[in-house]
Amino acid sequence: MKSKINVGVIFGGRSVENEISVITAQQAMAAIDTDKYDITPIYISKQGRWYTGQALMSSDNYKDMNRLYASCDEVYLRPVYGDNRLYKVRKPLFGSDVAATLDVILPALHGTNCEDGSFQGAVEMTGIPYAGCNVLASANGMDKITMKMILAQSGIPVVEYAWFSDKEWFDRREEVVERVERTLQYPMIVKPADSGSSVGITAVHDREQLTEAVENAVSYSKRIIVERLVERLKEINCSVLGDYYECEASVCEAPVRSGEILSYADKYLGGGKSGKTGCGVKQSQGMRSTVREIPACLPDAATDFIRATAVETFKTLGCDGVARIDFMIDEATDNIYVNEINTIPGSLSFYLWEATGVSFTELTERLIDIAFRRKRDSSFKTTSYKENIFNYTISGAKGAKLGSKSGGKI
Amino acid sequence: MNAITVIFLVCYAPLWFAAVRYDTQMFQQNSYRMSRYARWYRRGNDWVRAVAIAALAAASLLPFVSQTEFCGVAALVMLLAAWRELRTVYKLPIVYTMRVRRLFITAALLTAAAIAAALAFAPRYMPATALGLLAFPIVMSAANLLNRPVEAAVARWYYNDARRILRSMPDLIVIGVTGSFGKTSTKHYLYRILSEKYDVLMTPGNFNTTLGVIRTVREHLKPHHRVFIVEMGAKQSGDIREICDLVRPSIGIVTAVGEMHLETFRTVENILRTKFELIDSLPADGFGVVNLDSAPIAANTATYRCPVASYAVDNAAADYRAVNIAYSPAETTFDIARGNETRTHYTTRLAGRGNILNLLAAIAVADRLGVSEAMQKRAVRRIEQIEHRLSVKRTAGGIAIIDDAYNSNPAGAKMALEVLREFRTDGGRRIVVTPGFVELGARQYELNRELGRDIAQACDMVVIVNLTNRDAIAEGLADKAFPDDKIRKVASFAEASSYLADRLRAGDAVLYENDLPDSFK
Repeated sequence: MKSKINVGVIFGGRSVENEISVITAQQAMAAIDTDKYDITPIYISKQGRWYTGQALMSSDNYKDMNRLYASCDEVYLRPVYGDNRLYKVRKPLFGSDVAATLDVILPALHGTNCEDGSFQGAVEMTGIPYAGCNVLASANGMDKITMKMILAQSGIPVVEYAWFSDKEWFDRREEVVERVERTLQYPMIVKPADSGSSVGITAVHDREQLTEAVENAVSYSKRIIVERLVERLKEINCSVLGDYYECEASVCEAPVRSGEILSYADKYLGGGKSGKTGCGVKQSQGMRSTVREIPACLPDAATDFIRATAVETFKTLGCDGVARIDFMIDEATDNIYVNEINTIPGSLSFYLWEATGVSFTELTERLIDIAFRRKRDSSFKTTSYKENIFNYTISGAKGAKLGSKSGGKI
Repeated sequence: MNAITVIFLVCYAPLWFAAVRYDTQMFQQNSYRMSRYARWYRRGNDWVRAVAIAALAAASLLPFVSQTEFCGVAALVMLLAAWRELRTVYKLPIVYTMRVRRLFITAALLTAAAIAAALAFAPRYMPATALGLLAFPIVMSAANLLNRPVEAAVARWYYNDARRILRSMPDLIVIGVTGSFGKTSTKHYLYRILSEKYDVLMTPGNFNTTLGVIRTVREHLKPHHRVFIVEMGAKQSGDIREICDLVRPSIGIVTAVGEMHLETFRTVENILRTKFELIDSLPADGFGVVNLDSAPIAANTATYRCPVASYAVDNAAADYRAVNIAYSPAETTFDIARGNETRTHYTTRLAGRGNILNLLAAIAVADRLGVSEAMQKRAVRRIEQIEHRLSVKRTAGGIAIIDDAYNSNPAGAKMALEVLREFRTDGGRRIVVTPGFVELGARQYELNRELGRDIAQACDMVVIVNLTNRDAIAEGLADKAFPDDKIRKVASFAEASSYLADRLRAGDAVLYENDLPDSFK
């Protein structure tokens, strides 16, 4: 009877991409090698409650959420370091209240409250190893403003931008508009700094559109970023897999879009009117539904530049696991910019890695290995404050304690 | 049963608890081995015993003395004695494991039965019986005897559980580490180096017995562990074979064969054979690593199933040799020569030749398991000193403390003194604080005298702790004409600390060599 590593696959979440992540998780769970790993599916509802149960593994069950919840156990993790047990909320009269013991967590959550470090922070409290970026990289990757600031500082090309907070907008709208217009030229693109999946994003060509777009964006976030809109735009995505020291880039892809920007519909519902995939995709297959060109048809120099920059972006932000970096090629100038990074990419970008020669199963295995390695590396960084059993005072030195209660260094 | 008897019994209970707790504590420190405990007991005499025996004597005067008065006085004396004992702070206090609790329960039942019997048949002698039971560790020993079948069954259950867990992980690489000294350090270094590549579990702290290993397996071993490092200690022949039967190592390290625990082993040959039970147990496709600087190991001509690599600093015949060793106050650097190739520039914060040997052992295994040179160097550079094992600290007041307080032995002390001698003190004094070594059987006096001589040549001042080896060390110091006014004799480490507290100045270096459990005077 071989002991298997128990992987907790966590998906759902209180974000606009809750359903998308269900798809990501289903795909990942199907790919994990069950000879080596046991899978515990954990779903976080839109209300933020956690559930586990075998019913979560079949996508049909998500049509009737109430029934799904009824057939699962509501569970929780205790934020106690070293406690890797998933506890049942409703304690059974007899027997254990432990639903599962998790050896490692594979987050398959997207968007706010999921990809921005909040979930990662919660898991850090427990000490359970988890795949993907840590709190720092997640937070910076999620916020378009800090991401651009960090990359710009490191010499990685990003488009020009301006940013402000929602309250600043409410209080001093004229000033903000003037500042934006001074920094950038129309056309621009307005985005909430930290939402995912094209929600709240609008292209604007004049002041009126700008104002309207910002009014829309502030309902999604406290921080707003306005960027120069690249009109003749070619989008290229590239995924990176590894850790903050050693990582590799996948092949590039060029997603095809139906409008000015890749919309929610484009991404998940299989394209617009001219559906190359054929009419009416019945069930969304997540990122798989997007029409895409893999590998992207680009000159070699561009491909090399993108792949190298993707790796540099990944390392600069201190990422781990698998991330997808979205680039923009301004076809007017042939300049290439980093647009944004997705630290938990839809479908874990498996299709990019399959095209690169890494199977989905291998991808999941590497993610789990990276999780364990990070935990291992961190365990050597902890400074424990040891009580020094030898405490001395120097005579005549105002009672200075020689013992290193404060961790006196050499 | 009258009021005075009740008062007597009520005052007796705390003393009973204090006495049984003390007996059990010392039994625990002697690894629950009756023979070891008996030997320890024969050596010492405690005030608790003295008081109890006195009470026993007093009780036998009972027919001639009024019982009420006697019980009254006895009650007060017992309370006082219990109070004193329960307030004593021990360096190694008792640990209330399940076994200890079972022992207490049986002991309580036995005592109750004895007292009840006394009350039934000879009520006048009940106080005498009660106190008599405490004069010697009768209650604890009897309880231990009665509990033996229970303990055996419990131990067997845990053993089988641990075995089941280990067999469910066929890909686990098990590495055994043993030796008279250096095994804990080697284990730590090996853990650190292998962790660059693998998820490693090691037996924690001093869990180097079969029971310790069983606990580690049941409580800490997880499916994602790829390597399991098992430190194997031996208090007698067959101990290591027992652990090997359970964990089935494929790689084994023997760090040294030296003169430790000579009381039980009697000869160095026995020690060698016991340590090499580890290498014996390795399969043909396994791998052994041994320290060729350890004379008994170098002289060993036996052959083994698996290939065995050797390491050394001095012995040129070794497979792995540390060369070009350079010590500076901040770090130590060395190169590793293996066959025709030399790998240069390993740096570490560890001090002392012993630690370099331990690193060599770990690196030999790391090579075997495919850890690259870059990974090895990264790990070696980052290895933290282990507290109490020749670790060097500088206090805020500029005093250097060389802490070698853990289970010392003659060879380890020589290395520590070497470090003290070569330590840069910028005009400060070199001071040694030590109680000497124990458990050296017939050679104890001689080896401690030699320690005294070594100390005389390495420092400016020495503080001898405890009675046990005081004379031997003093004589060694006198052999080398060490000035008397630079020798201080104290009864405990606490006393040594307060003595030095007023006298140390910035720039001084103090070496703490060995520390004895409370069971030693």
